[in-house]
Amino acid sequence: MDEFQEILQDFLVESFELVEKLDEDLVELENNPTDLELLNGIFRVAHTVKGASSFLNFDVLTHLTHHMEDVLNKARHAEIVLTPNIMDVVLESIDLMKALLGVIRDTSSDAGIDVSACVTRLDMVSGGDGNVESPVVEEAPVVEEAQEASQPSADEPDYENMDDGEIEDEIERLLQQRQAEDRAKREAKIAAGESVLAAPPEPDSGEEAEEKPAPKEEAKPKPAPAPTPLGTFKEEEPHEDDDPKAAAPAKRAPAAVEQTIRVDVKRLDHLMNLIGELVLAKNRLMKINEEVEERYEGEEFLEELNQVVSIVSLVTTDLQIAVMKTRMLPIGKVFNKFPRMIRDLSRELNKKIELVLAGEDTELDKSIVEEIGDPLVHIIRNSCDHGVETPAERIAKGKDEAGTIGLKAYNEGNQIVIQIDDDGKGLDPVMLKNKSLEKGIISEKEADNMSDKEAFALIFKPGFSTAAAVTSVSGRGVGMDVVKTNIEKLNGIIDIDSEVNVGTSIKLKIPLTLAIIQALLVGVQEEYYAIPLASVLETVRISKEEIYTVEGRSVMRLRDDVLSLVHIGDIFEVERILDASEHAYVVVLGLGTSKLGLIVDTLVGQEEIVIKSLGDYLKGIDGIAGATIRGDGGVTLIVDVVALMQMARDVKATTMIEASAEGASAGVEKTKSSDYKVMIVDDSKTDRTIMRKALESMGLSLVEAADGQEALNILKSGEHHFDAMLVDIEMPRMDGYSLATEIKKYNKYKNLPLIAVTSRTGKSDRMRGVESGMVEYITKPYSADYLASVVQRNINFKAEFL
Amino acid sequence: MSDKLKQIINKQGSQQESGLDQTDNIVQLVGFVIGDEEYAVPILAIQEIIKPFEWTRVPQVPKYVLGVFNLRGAVIPLIDLRLKFGLKSKKHSEDTRFIVMRHKDDVAGFVIDRLTMAIRIKKENIGPAPDTVNGDNTIIDGVGKQQDKIITILKVNKLLERDF
Repeated sequence: MDEFQEILQDFLVESFELVEKLDEDLVELENNPTDLELLNGIFRVAHTVKGASSFLNFDVLTHLTHHMEDVLNKARHAEIVLTPNIMDVVLESIDLMKALLGVIRDTSSDAGIDVSACVTRLDMVSGGDGNVESPVVEEAPVVEEAQEASQPSADEPDYENMDDGEIEDEIERLLQQRQAEDRAKREAKIAAGESVLAAPPEPDSGEEAEEKPAPKEEAKPKPAPAPTPLGTFKEEEPHEDDDPKAAAPAKRAPAAVEQTIRVDVKRLDHLMNLIGELVLAKNRLMKINEEVEERYEGEEFLEELNQVVSIVSLVTTDLQIAVMKTRMLPIGKVFNKFPRMIRDLSRELNKKIELVLAGEDTELDKSIVEEIGDPLVHIIRNSCDHGVETPAERIAKGKDEAGTIGLKAYNEGNQIVIQIDDDGKGLDPVMLKNKSLEKGIISEKEADNMSDKEAFALIFKPGFSTAAAVTSVSGRGVGMDVVKTNIEKLNGIIDIDSEVNVGTSIKLKIPLTLAIIQALLVGVQEEYYAIPLASVLETVRISKEEIYTVEGRSVMRLRDDVLSLVHIGDIFEVERILDASEHAYVVVLGLGTSKLGLIVDTLVGQEEIVIKSLGDYLKGIDGIAGATIRGDGGVTLIVDVVALMQMARDVKATTMIEASAEGASAGVEKTKSSDYKVMIVDDSKTDRTIMRKALESMGLSLVEAADGQEALNILKSGEHHFDAMLVDIEMPRMDGYSLATEIKKYNKYKNLPLIAVTSRTGKSDRMRGVESGMVEYITKPYSADYLASVVQRNINFKAEFL
Repeated sequence: MSDKLKQIINKQGSQQESGLDQTDNIVQLVGFVIGDEEYAVPILAIQEIIKPFEWTRVPQVPKYVLGVFNLRGAVIPLIDLRLKFGLKSKKHSEDTRFIVMRHKDDVAGFVIDRLTMAIRIKKENIGPAPDTVNGDNTIIDGVGKQQDKIITILKVNKLLERDF
């Protein structure tokens, strides 16, 4: 059973690899129906799969591939011409083959898919020339055929001219030959299986490795093979898996064999993690180097240290790039499936569409390649369905009858750009706006203020569909929404350009890798956050007066635009203790067409950071994409810009948040009069006693301070929560005005009532008092009752305590 | 010489075996204090015990999750057990420690007031959690009885479970 499983694994890996290539070849074949090389290649795939599946007793799959083989063999011998109709049948059968392989992968059996209808059609095709041969006869030449694939048509035995007896003999001979080959193959596998015991066991699955024979499979992940070749980072010649002793039925020309090995993705991930550690250590080393430089300026060893540090830094960067490259896959892997898709779509939609691919060699991180497929399918389907017009429309517009969809990938700085162009009818911003208005996606006011680019971006809104009729291809209004989410998940950006009747161009800009990014470090109070640099458009320094409040939201003017603002502290619940600075920094974040200004206290700088997950316990926190470890060993959180922009919508203007926070802290229920606490600040002992006498009768708790400095210290210590302060103006060390100004710098004391008690009576004194934040102004001398009533009023003293 | 070596090895081997026999019905725990209560967790669930150092606050989490800290390159959540158990937070003192616990792949650091000691306790001396804290949701695994006191043994997997 183990042996069977193992052969099955091989079979599946090989078959999926072959089939993947097949789609592309078939579409190519339709354009060049007589290309013998292609035909042979395709034929060999069908044949290989058939051979292996019959060996493994997958009867349904054998049955299907056998009939495919019939048709392809005839095409190969120019007995039938591959018309689009025949291609449809062939493609259908290949789809069935894929489905069967999928079923086999999941259940180890090929039951459950009905192939008879397709087989009948294949038979009709192959019988089309009136020469229906018995399948067995057809199978025979094929075995030999494959062995000499390089010269397929030359030395094929002429079965047509043999009599029945000769044919029987030939079949007998070939069958025996084949059985012998199968045996040899099996033995070879067993032999290989024994030899592996001496080979080093697989580190992460020790016992599995021992069961796993052939050494060449060592690096291949064993469990549940995924449909794509697992863990390979370069497309391999698929036949390296075949034992050379066996009848390699699909041997290809050995030209330009790539020197590759299969590596488990886990190992690469591990390597990447280690590099991440190294980058962090490098950052730390550089930081230390800076400090040492400062401290020992001019010393000789500094130069040597500098050299070592820069070499380490250089090598680390190179190493990082090198490891990143090993994880890279050519994007062609994703592009491969589109020729077939376009072909099917154009037939289904009765349009003529050509696909032009470019830059298939552009490489992307494996994890990104896996994620990018679905969004591209949606975009291309959309282009076919809504973009490219019907041939009649196109001719009427004076365009070429066949529409073109261009799909290209290229590098741009630290990003990969995937560009999807069509020369269809383009997007009409006015129509898009009207449609969104109709569906209630945007308001009329928003529509008026919208630029064309912003209007184009509407197609990514959930619930939006421009197709008048929902077709089976697209128009259900979910696809493009998914595209946006998926791309943004990859830290990517979507950019749309379009011109009515000329075409649409969609650019997806995606970072090269997900693990290490450039980030802008910002500070708020004592905390730091890292913002992915890819989403930062610019940073601006503004003074507080430049912030306006419109409809409860903070905004600022940025050149000709109005930029909505949000304070990073409001989003991440940072307690804002000190808010003295007159200036603030605004980090302008951009995602596609939407922009947001993020107010921060300080800009720290740009740094290369390694993204680390927060683990299961803390995952999924809104607005946090992960964490990184800084040069000093501290942890800094990474901002999730997409989520942050969402959250910003729910945050009201800064000032309103403050008010409600105040309300909350003051919300401690007062149950007796001594819960109220008042501070008396006066340098004269007598004055303090007079005030104390006046207030004690109410039962308030009182704290005394002899000058402004002392009062401030008591306040800062946080031991008491004061409901009001009585402040004398003339005091040593710090006078009442300065004290009030200092206190008002603290956000949480913004609403603390300060009552001036002074003998200064001049108007200018009162003005100064108000300016520094005093709410009441009591002039000495005063009556005890008056003082008590003023205090009562300011601390909302409940009457029942009297 | 080699005979001697063998003897020693054999001796050590037999010692280890007898050690194993003992551990069959003895549970090793590490005891610590939070507030006025003594708690314990199995020693094997503890990755390490470290002195407090800086951590980074994480927004939008319950108060008892203080944040995350850097443990030799890994970012690990830090949970204050005082707050988690409904006590008031306290300034960290000389005795405060972070206990890093691990259950399968989950790791977190827990702030405790003070360590007591490693405890070896016989299995028969461990009683079930009191009936009042019944069900699977309790974080109490059992109650260990010692001469003069009882110790609450906590379930590490429950401590490491996200409950917000």
